[in-house]
Amino acid sequence: MSALEEKPLPIIPRTGPATAPKDDGDPSRRRGSGSGAGSRSGGRKRRPGSSRGPGRGPGWIVYGCLAAVILGGMFPLWWSILIGSHDSTILSRDSFPLIPGGNFFSNAAAVIDTVPFWQATMNSVIVSTVTAVSVVFFSTLAGYAFAKLRFKGAVPLLVFVIATMAVPTQLGVVPLYQVMARLGWTGELQAVIVPGLVTAFGVFWMTQYLRQAIPDELIEAATVDGCSMIRTFWHVALPAAKPAAAMLFLFTFVLNWTNFFWPFIVLGPQNPTLPVALQQLQAAHFVDYSLVLAGATMATVPLLILFIFTGRQLVSGIMQGAVKQ
Amino acid sequence: MTLALTACGGSAEGDDSSGGGAEGEDVTLSVTTFNEFGYEDLFEEYEELNDNITIEHNKIDTAENARDSLRNSLGAGQGASDIEPIEVDWLAEFQQYPDRFEDLTDPELEDRWLDWKNEDAVLEDGRLIGYGTDSGPQAVCYRADLFEEAGLPTDREEVAEFLGDSWEDYFAAGREFVAESDSAWYSGSDNIWQGMINQVEVPYQNEEGEIIADTNTEVKDLYDQLLEASVEDELSAGLAQWSGDWSDAFQREETFATMMCPGWMLGIIEGNAAEVEGWDIANTFPGGGGNWGGSYLTVPSQGENIEEAKELAAWLTAPEQQLKAFDVVGAFPSTTEALESDELLSATNEFFNDAPTGEILAERAEAVETQPLKGTEYLTINVAIQDAINRVDVDGIDDPDASWEKFVNDMEALR
Amino acid sequence: MSAPAAHAPVTTARSGGSAPEPRTGRRKPKVSFRHRASTWDRRYSPYLYISPFFLLFAVVGLFPLIYTGWVATHDWDLIMGQGEFIGAENFMAVLGERAFWISLRNTLSIFILSSAPQVVAAILIAYLLDYNLRAKTFWRMGVLVPYVVTPVAVALIFSNLFGDRFGLVNSILETVGIDAIGWHSGTLPSHLAIATMVNFRWTGYNALIFLAAMQAVPRDLYEAAEIDGAGKVRQFISVTIPNLRPTIIFVIITSTIGGLQIFDEPRMFDQYGRGGTDGQWQTMTMYLYELGWTRSDFGQASAVAVLLFLLIVAIGLVNFIITRRISSSEVKR
Repeated sequence: MSALEEKPLPIIPRTGPATAPKDDGDPSRRRGSGSGAGSRSGGRKRRPGSSRGPGRGPGWIVYGCLAAVILGGMFPLWWSILIGSHDSTILSRDSFPLIPGGNFFSNAAAVIDTVPFWQATMNSVIVSTVTAVSVVFFSTLAGYAFAKLRFKGAVPLLVFVIATMAVPTQLGVVPLYQVMARLGWTGELQAVIVPGLVTAFGVFWMTQYLRQAIPDELIEAATVDGCSMIRTFWHVALPAAKPAAAMLFLFTFVLNWTNFFWPFIVLGPQNPTLPVALQQLQAAHFVDYSLVLAGATMATVPLLILFIFTGRQLVSGIMQGAVKQ
Repeated sequence: MTLALTACGGSAEGDDSSGGGAEGEDVTLSVTTFNEFGYEDLFEEYEELNDNITIEHNKIDTAENARDSLRNSLGAGQGASDIEPIEVDWLAEFQQYPDRFEDLTDPELEDRWLDWKNEDAVLEDGRLIGYGTDSGPQAVCYRADLFEEAGLPTDREEVAEFLGDSWEDYFAAGREFVAESDSAWYSGSDNIWQGMINQVEVPYQNEEGEIIADTNTEVKDLYDQLLEASVEDELSAGLAQWSGDWSDAFQREETFATMMCPGWMLGIIEGNAAEVEGWDIANTFPGGGGNWGGSYLTVPSQGENIEEAKELAAWLTAPEQQLKAFDVVGAFPSTTEALESDELLSATNEFFNDAPTGEILAERAEAVETQPLKGTEYLTINVAIQDAINRVDVDGIDDPDASWEKFVNDMEALR
Repeated sequence: MSAPAAHAPVTTARSGGSAPEPRTGRRKPKVSFRHRASTWDRRYSPYLYISPFFLLFAVVGLFPLIYTGWVATHDWDLIMGQGEFIGAENFMAVLGERAFWISLRNTLSIFILSSAPQVVAAILIAYLLDYNLRAKTFWRMGVLVPYVVTPVAVALIFSNLFGDRFGLVNSILETVGIDAIGWHSGTLPSHLAIATMVNFRWTGYNALIFLAAMQAVPRDLYEAAEIDGAGKVRQFISVTIPNLRPTIIFVIITSTIGGLQIFDEPRMFDQYGRGGTDGQWQTMTMYLYELGWTRSDFGQASAVAVLLFLLIVAIGLVNFIITRRISSSEVKR
């Protein structure tokens, strides 16, 4: 269940849809749109990339504020690199160097030497990719059904989905472990993958998004044309879901990439994911933080690469979503 | 760091052997360790000696996480390694579930360990639940450079004398030191408490298992004595052990001068205080001998390769192997033969001013006469009392009496 | 809970019969097999689409869930397993413990300290990102960086920053002449420090979600507001915020659920992970973990889990009602 997916306890947030339920009578929304269906972007044109709210081009204050936010956000990463490239005494020294030292590669080599780093990276890639793809697909499917199709029990079922997110996850561990043990999956990647294939959060997210993103007219038109339900889903819902799907993909990927709790329990160190492998770096009387943080940096790098590759996609996705009708 | 629950090395899939495989059949054994047992090379050696054995090492960061992991596996009835470590502080806790562990009694091994070490692992019905790995006889580590600045003796034998052999002496020496120095006498009360409580024969629970921690005057007296020294005499630096501040303090100018020092602590001091010169170790311990820490290897019954696991556990805890582990990570032996070996007795430690640490700790081990009766709730109670101590010494949010009241309440809740 | 109420009307209003009727009307001649197939398709497909979630949930979610409820009414040792049925005794025991109420206080306090400023900050950042920026991708991805940094690193770094004695924050305070703060000894300071960790990780994430929603706000609304003479601030308050309402509700629901289950950050806040010497920052999930794993009382731990579940539902509901009321009154004005 989401139980698993939520293992890392996404603290504040799993979040919400880019847009939301179209809703009952919100006058401001309807104004000028004329589409009573509440597809708020329906019929409205917006120049892509234009900034609506603020209107004009940003001044230096805007850039300054954002730069401050980003610098603050980069700080821990910078700190990791800094400490990961020195030796272990750096943390407790009075004078703290602000430039990376020359030990990063020797620390990295030590990390690779100490823990099964490559195997763990491979495992993490597999787990994160499979769960992210699956979550996106099944959440879109379910979200589409909840948002756009009428069926008996839809509302209570959706409530149920959301309610499942409220169950504290720590307690599910022993029974879930027993399930995995019975299936003979302990130590195997599927023990981490399968429970994460679908998440309540994903369903909730997609429901909220699709409710607004797909105009009912579109579905009606498709149905009128004799499209089967699944074709309608494939040709109408999936494309419309792209922006939210991109974000959901990224969120799920990262969540699984950083998840420690459940993989640690069910996989063990023989077949670890990255966080589980990194934990072994701390198994010593004296914890060498330069090693730990070098490892942490190495585990973050693949995510940053993913970021750079998907970033553009993702950002244009967000905007597209808004423009799309 | 992170929360950890279980780790299950679990006898791996793909291991085609099951049941007590006959000689020559391929067997994969999983072994959990926490912190540092120094077994990596030993595993390789064992695999070379036994062609059919493959060892999987399940390395967990902290003892707490190893304990949680074992509890979880026992709860699930599955997932424990073939060999699981148990630390002395939570040994009794797991002895509540004798049927979950194999009896390791072996007439040939009867005299292998120090008496007190082995006795702790013997159940009421005479079955043996674990083989002793390391032990933690304590000496006192000190900063010779700070002693010198304070005009005190620095030579380790003179220091031993100066420190005396009772807690009163130790605290009196501390008052003398802090009068002449900007540094504190010890890092924090919790470090000293471990030294003190490990000398009380029946500290927290009586023979029947009833909780007596809050009514035991011996415990209360130590508590008062310690906090008086820490707070009124200002002997404590007020740092909680293992905290970031504590690690940092090793490198600071104004720091602390002494520490209770079981063998495994040497590596921690060296790691934290790298490049600090002046650490040394004195062959004495307040209140006589004392053992802090040390573990046992157990064989959970849920494993599939029990016989092989027993053999491996016995091999790992043999004197020769204990000496190798001592050599690698400083895990101090608990077998009599190893304790008497030249290899151990001739060991010195460069960081501690080339002190003959082997000889000193071996003598400290001899001074240990008995182990406290550690009941099923030992760990929980000890945590509660350390919290009580730290509320006063570290956090400064309670006075000793108020903090004790809270401890009494904790005990009530536990009953 | 919350969501349903919001969506119920929507769902009905929306799908109100658009799909089926026209179709039948139009293709009368073809009633036959195809028609039947498609009716069947329309009626059952939705269930098929949502079934993966429910099937999987039944195995990996429902079983643990029911198990928890079952365990809560029994005397239950983690290792020895099920004992006698004792009804509400576990609940009474837990409710009678001071530690339970302290953990409840801490949970609520950390939750408020983290969620409220976070939502506000996220909206403001989203607002900035909504400008017509150069190198948009860079800025937008940039705010998400904290989310991808390995939590281990974040925890290590923040507990270092908030060290009582030698931490960077206190060093800075002392240099400017302010007394050092006991981040680990004080109750409120520890909550602030933990909330900072939480906010650090999740603000950018929520900002992107708000950004996506802002992008969907029709531009003509702003134009209209401008014609009415509304300044930027006014536009933000009366156009942007009301239009973000559904997203705000979503974020609040999910953050309530996540925030009240907070575990990792407080657990990693010191070396012991128990929530302080006096339970200064022990949250309900930490208390639950302590009961179940250190004290081996799975029955009481399950009781706490059930209570926490009820709390989350209650607060989610209150949250939802308040948000709904505030934002709808805003709109009507």
